[in-house]
Amino acid sequence: MLSKKIIHLIEANALQLSNEIQQRLLTHPSTSSYRDIDEKTLHAWIYDVCSRFSYWLDEDRERGEVEEHYRNLGKERFKQDFDLPQVISALYLTKRRLWEFMAASREPDSALNLNQIVEASFLLVRFFDHVVLQVTEGYEEMLLSKHGYEAPLSKPEQLAQALEAKRKREEVVDEEPKLPTLCFTKGMIRLG
Amino acid sequence: MLVKLIEMIENNAETMAGELKNKLLTDPATPSYQTLDDRILYENIFEVYSRLGYWLLRDAEKGEVPTHYSAIGAQRFKEGFPLHQVVQALVATKRHIWDTILEKGIMRTAKELDSAVDFITYLNRFFDMAIYYTTLGYYRALNLKTAS
Repeated sequence: MLSKKIIHLIEANALQLSNEIQQRLLTHPSTSSYRDIDEKTLHAWIYDVCSRFSYWLDEDRERGEVEEHYRNLGKERFKQDFDLPQVISALYLTKRRLWEFMAASREPDSALNLNQIVEASFLLVRFFDHVVLQVTEGYEEMLLSKHGYEAPLSKPEQLAQALEAKRKREEVVDEEPKLPTLCFTKGMIRLG
Repeated sequence: MLVKLIEMIENNAETMAGELKNKLLTDPATPSYQTLDDRILYENIFEVYSRLGYWLLRDAEKGEVPTHYSAIGAQRFKEGFPLHQVVQALVATKRHIWDTILEKGIMRTAKELDSAVDFITYLNRFFDMAIYYTTLGYYRALNLKTAS
């Protein structure tokens, strides 16, 4: 795999990257809740992603570890009273720093090196897309279990009703416009 | 070259919007999107692809992303969509751009690949912000509802 070299570079620099990401989370206005987390715990979480990056990227779908881990993270952050947008912002700030690090290793004249970076970016983006989705689903599960809130269209019967309403709307649009019936009587036209 | 990549997406906006609309309407991960009027769904997607250059390069000054996507988040909440489906749809919108670029095979030379690295930076920055603000708009609407 082309991107192996770059991914190993992230792992080799995991400590420095984790420190930088931690500082961003602690100072960025969109992640202010992270200031309430124990710094060692926060650092350990970020370091786990950076130091085992190839492990997380290679995670096969059968094992489902990313799914379980990040779904639980979403639940955990809910219990810790974090707003979901803050959790998502923290994930994106992490991704951004990792991407900056990857992109900084670019050699503009080397197609091989640039291919490695593009391939690594694909893995990075796919991983964080998956993570953000799992965190959101975990958080939504807690909204349901703690507050009984469930988005209406999650419920099959409400989804079916909404689809039926859409079908009816479309029927009205598709219908041929009806012309009034003309009834001829002597000297006048009466609209039927 | 970066502009060329963006223009390629903008020039294919109609086809791409149609393809993604069909995908969202049939994907088991986004069933709520089947309840939107097809035309509105198409226009929402077309709006992103046909003005990609604006969103990626020029909006930084105007700052339309926070207001636009917060409003979409609040709207989807009002319509009863689960948030993870909204996030999924935005991820699919981004992925379709990348898939199209790969399909067109315009990343062969070092120069093209170098531009692709810039493109990835701008594309992800935009979609990260779009997903963040959509979530924020949805979450605020949810809080308003649970508070009232």
